[in-house]
Amino acid sequence: MPASPLSRLLPAFLLLAAGLALPGCATPPPADDPDALAEFKEANDPLEPTNRALYAVNDVFDTVFFRPAAKAYVWLLPQEIRNRTHNVLVNALGPVTFANDVLQGQPRRAGDSLMRFVVNSTVGVGGIFDVATDWGWPYHETDFGLTMDTWGISEGPYLFLPILGPTNPRDSTGFAVDAAINPTTWIARGQAMTIVGYTRLGLTALDKRSEVLDTLDRVKEQALDPYATIRSLARQNRQSKEADNRDTRPPTIPAWFPRPQAPAAAAP
Amino acid sequence: MLARRSLLPRLCLMSAGLVALAARAQAQAPDVATAFVSALLKDILAVVNGGGAAADKRAAIARIIDTKVDVDGVARFCLGRFWRTATPAQQQDYVKLFHTVLLNSVAGKVGEYSGVSFTMGATRAREEDVLVSTVVSRPNNAPSKVDWVVANIGGQPKLVDLIAEGTSLRLTQRSDYASFLASHGNNVQTLLDAIRAQLAKTAG
Repeated sequence: MPASPLSRLLPAFLLLAAGLALPGCATPPPADDPDALAEFKEANDPLEPTNRALYAVNDVFDTVFFRPAAKAYVWLLPQEIRNRTHNVLVNALGPVTFANDVLQGQPRRAGDSLMRFVVNSTVGVGGIFDVATDWGWPYHETDFGLTMDTWGISEGPYLFLPILGPTNPRDSTGFAVDAAINPTTWIARGQAMTIVGYTRLGLTALDKRSEVLDTLDRVKEQALDPYATIRSLARQNRQSKEADNRDTRPPTIPAWFPRPQAPAAAAP
Repeated sequence: MLARRSLLPRLCLMSAGLVALAARAQAQAPDVATAFVSALLKDILAVVNGGGAAADKRAAIARIIDTKVDVDGVARFCLGRFWRTATPAQQQDYVKLFHTVLLNSVAGKVGEYSGVSFTMGATRAREEDVLVSTVVSRPNNAPSKVDWVVANIGGQPKLVDLIAEGTSLRLTQRSDYASFLASHGNNVQTLLDAIRAQLAKTAG
């Protein structure tokens, strides 16, 4: 019996994407037009016709369902409750973040993630209150797509998938892996966990969509080509996350530990 | 003999100093950029956090943009390779339109904010400009990273780009225009008409 709503929905998305991906490939500009060719490479979107079709499909879904739902979510619930909900959702991802920290060989960050999950799940009442940040275990974000990035796996061509939005083969695979390694996906089965799973999926969607309400409204209002603007924004944002994730290597020694005077490395 | 020998190195030093001065006039000095951004933030905060009608805020932001941002340079950057194919009349028309585009984009972002505070971060010199990092805090929002790119434009420090959470304002704008042009036969006049229509729509 499949228990997770995510594991049930994902194959459907991927099949849909694969089916739609078959017909449309963008024709690269001719080699004698170096500027246009550079633009084509920068956009990294060889499947553009397909992606645009999927974007149009998603746009309809979004206009009739996701955007109004997110609007209602913001209208119904006060900011404070939405922030607490966000905290709980983020806390529930703790084990996934921890696993990715370990897979990236980041001992300090793995320790942060572990302590955050333990402290916020208990003292922070299931993640409602972020006690861990005040206690010296700051939040960071990572996922399996970023883990694969640290392993040297490149993103592949740009993809726009319905619901998932702007992504690429590596990061959408990472999304599936993150869902698969999430303990709530496989720990407990039965009706109660199924309800928890769907609630979490629904709330995650509302949380994520409501975060970008203003940004997306503005893009659609001001951009001449919203599809291209979203592609540019999403890719730049992801690249900066990749760079941050690669460059941040916090030392394993805690801040209170007396530091050695010599530049020689201290024993762990 | 003695006098001439000591004069030569002195002359060399002097010319080296002149060269150094000239070079500094081209590149942006990081400390100048930091001071520039810190003053700019003070101006922006005064507008954003100070009360007042939306129209007054917009006028104040327009003044800041006119004095602190290299709008013409940003406009040229955003049109990319099509700047060269545009006629002088089109270029002029485009730069004029772009002033409003930029104001709308910034005023739209900034207009609805209040209770904003900035924390200055590191300053990093790049090839042609200086990147000043800040963290923006707003009540009920996760702090976000905003980098201010400052370049030396005709001897004056000017803002040339704003990078919010890794997304560069001018790069995003350029890819919007490039993509529009690609699907409209690379015709600059079509782009200008579309920008004008878009501005009329958002104004109305």
